[in-house]
Amino acid sequence: MDFIKGFGYVATFLLLVNAILYIKILPRQGKVFTFFTIYLIGVLIIQVLNNVLGPVLHLPNLFLSNIYLVFQFIMLSLLYQKLLNFKPILVIGGLVVFLLMLQYSNNPELLTKYNVIGLSSTQAILTIYCIAYLFTTVNQKDPDLLVVNIGLLLYLVSSTLIFASGNLVFNLNIPKESYLLLLKLNAVLYLIFQILILIEWRKIYYKKMLKSSS
Amino acid sequence: MEKDILQEDAQIIVIILIAILVLLVMAGALILFFFFSRKKISNAELEKATLALAYQKELLHTTIETQEKERKRIAQDLHDAISSKLNVVSLSTNVLIDGQIEQEEEKETLHRILDITTNTLESSRRLAHNLLPPILENFGLQAAIEELCDEFSSSKKVTVSYDISYQDSLSKNDELHLFRILQELLNNSVRHGKASSVDLTITDTDVLSLHYVDNGTGFDINLVGKNKGIGLKNIESRVEILEGSIDYHSTPGQGAEFNISITHS
Repeated sequence: MDFIKGFGYVATFLLLVNAILYIKILPRQGKVFTFFTIYLIGVLIIQVLNNVLGPVLHLPNLFLSNIYLVFQFIMLSLLYQKLLNFKPILVIGGLVVFLLMLQYSNNPELLTKYNVIGLSSTQAILTIYCIAYLFTTVNQKDPDLLVVNIGLLLYLVSSTLIFASGNLVFNLNIPKESYLLLLKLNAVLYLIFQILILIEWRKIYYKKMLKSSS
Repeated sequence: MEKDILQEDAQIIVIILIAILVLLVMAGALILFFFFSRKKISNAELEKATLALAYQKELLHTTIETQEKERKRIAQDLHDAISSKLNVVSLSTNVLIDGQIEQEEEKETLHRILDITTNTLESSRRLAHNLLPPILENFGLQAAIEELCDEFSSSKKVTVSYDISYQDSLSKNDELHLFRILQELLNNSVRHGKASSVDLTITDTDVLSLHYVDNGTGFDINLVGKNKGIGLKNIESRVEILEGSIDYHSTPGQGAEFNISITHS
């Protein structure tokens, strides 16, 4: 348990550091970075709320996962629409958000639960965008957010399955230790993702320093 | 019994873990593929840039070589046609100053001096003309080319027939390049090809096209491709400066044909 908590706190701390660092370099960057920075700040707030509500106040915090999935999908869709310069992403995004709203209105109880279908389908769509970006940048010299894209791809691919198994694990009679193994893996992958975001920031920062010194 | 169920359920976790691992490996393979492709593409681009650089280097080399050759020729011409003649004039004048010769001999020497200075004057005029024909500056490209062809024809070594309709579509600088190309072609035909007749056609509508055929000894295109003479390289680099295109055909013993087209800028 402590192991996951430790990793989780380090990852959240790194998320906080990343959010601050990206805000600092924001004024000189384009719209792509604005979307990414908003995404980081949003995820940070959700993460902090999650830690405060659950472990500290002992209140239900599962509803946050729904906010997380919708927020993540909207922000990353906007980000990839800019990166790929592909308008249909906005249409797909609108359609998926509409379907999600329909799903929640049909089954309001879902808001307090884990929306497995919503989470895995939105993450799958985002994974496709990641791969598409990877292919379009194959002949570009220095594409924006390449390292972040790789980190996101690795994290989305693995976390989709971890999240999808969330409810399954609750319903089955599984020893807590086994399930914790999945959470550990998720925490480690999330930490790797945050480290890659930090590496990307370092790349942008040094490029900026080089530019201003030359 | 309860333990068995527990273990069965735990199996699901193992399956999920394996699935995650497989997905991660696949994503990793995709990323590796992406990086290798990137490397391959950048290597290909690097190779292209190196080739372009090598070509530019060769062009520069040729230019310098041509320049040196031209300098050598001018130096030789100056030495042969002017310096040596003026030397004779100087010697003869010294003899006259000394005044130890007969009156008739003195007259003869003066006549010789006059002859030599007249010849030298003519030589220097021709030299200057070869460097930059004044007609090109004063009367334009068409007149200069016609004069050039007539000059070659009057040497009796070669008959140059021409049909030129030039519409002043090139700048002064480009005109000089085209003139030099023709000079080089005619020189090559006479010097290396031993041609007895040359046909030149220049049309100038949307595209300026030059068609040049001689009946000289020709050359082997395959051999020329590997080791071009400075003359041909010079022509090619001038065509490149004019942003035109050149193609030539030749077989040994059957003359040579050149086609040059230049799109108006």
